[in-house]
Amino acid sequence: MKRYWRFIVPAGLLVAVLVVLLINLSSSLVYFITPTELEAAPVVDDRQRLGGQVVAGTVVEVDDGVEFSVTDGRVEVAVHHVGAPQDLFAEGIGVVLEGTWDGAVFASDTMLIKHDEQYRTEDGQEYDPGAPESFDT
Amino acid sequence: MNPAATQSARRDWLGIVAAVAILGAFILALLSPPDRVQGDLTRMLYIHVPTILTAYLAFIVTTVATIAYLVSRRLSWDRLAASSAEVGVVFLGLAILTGMVWGKPVWGVWWTWDARLTTTALMFFIYLGYLGLRRGISDPVARARRSAILGIVAVAQIPIVHFSVTWWNALHQPPTILRPGDPQIDTPLLIALLVGIGAFMLVYAWLVARRVELERHEAARLDAAIDDAAPVAGDAITSPSLDAATGPSTRGAGT
Repeated sequence: MKRYWRFIVPAGLLVAVLVVLLINLSSSLVYFITPTELEAAPVVDDRQRLGGQVVAGTVVEVDDGVEFSVTDGRVEVAVHHVGAPQDLFAEGIGVVLEGTWDGAVFASDTMLIKHDEQYRTEDGQEYDPGAPESFDT
Repeated sequence: MNPAATQSARRDWLGIVAAVAILGAFILALLSPPDRVQGDLTRMLYIHVPTILTAYLAFIVTTVATIAYLVSRRLSWDRLAASSAEVGVVFLGLAILTGMVWGKPVWGVWWTWDARLTTTALMFFIYLGYLGLRRGISDPVARARRSAILGIVAVAQIPIVHFSVTWWNALHQPPTILRPGDPQIDTPLLIALLVGIGAFMLVYAWLVARRVELERHEAARLDAAIDDAAPVAGDAITSPSLDAATGPSTRGAGT
């Protein structure tokens, strides 16, 4: 029996360290908040990341960048992005924006594309960006 | 044919099959239609996904082989565990590199600390630690026993890495195939991906077979070196003589 304890005790300690590490990492592992989370607990003027799907028909090019709305299927947030948008930026694609929220418009200066898990051929006609469910967490 | 020659012939065949499979996967990856959104960038999928899945397989093999060692106490299982982890780290490194090359044009960044990337980096360094731990212990039995704990526990990271994209909001996309519901990928792309996964796993099997063979030769050399009664370095040197009649030490007394 003693032999097994010599394995179980270090293994248990190692698991405990991993669990503590993950629980503490948990909050920082959340990469972005959704529009619903922003509305529920607005943090004004602090830098944060906002993720959502670009709403079709809201994209307007302006002098210093682009304006559009993002949604998680429930709440829409207006975005003013300064700078050139990413190559894959388009209506219906997922984006993660870094910037500040003033209560009305999310002022973004960094844009990342959040590609979804769908891979479709050009003539397959199956790709459907209509449902922004990947942001509806 | 003796057993060693049979094994070597089998291994050579495995290498040839793996090479043909990789060639086939490469051709399919180039011929498959581009993705509607990503275009040709999607071809990185056919390398990136197979490498990470092969790394998962490698670490599962390490865990199973480690448990088999603890049960049977046969060092051949420990050699398999070590070889598989080593090859797994190579594939995991390739997965990270190919992911970065894909991430730059699609996401806009080479690297970012989202949940999937952070947990994958952690897994990479923990398995490097496992290999480092093994190098620090020279006795084969002590090495096998002490590294067994990490070899088993570290596999718990696979579900953490896999589900990280579901548990936390991440930049990385959720699973396309290993998910509840239908695979979110069209058939021609799926075929190229599945052939790629099979080809990379064959390469893994070939590399592990070669690595295990090398480990076995190293162990045999070590055993031979210990058993051998041949003269060791230093045998030719005799201890200094304390005889007063001869030698340099008498010079002072004579004058």
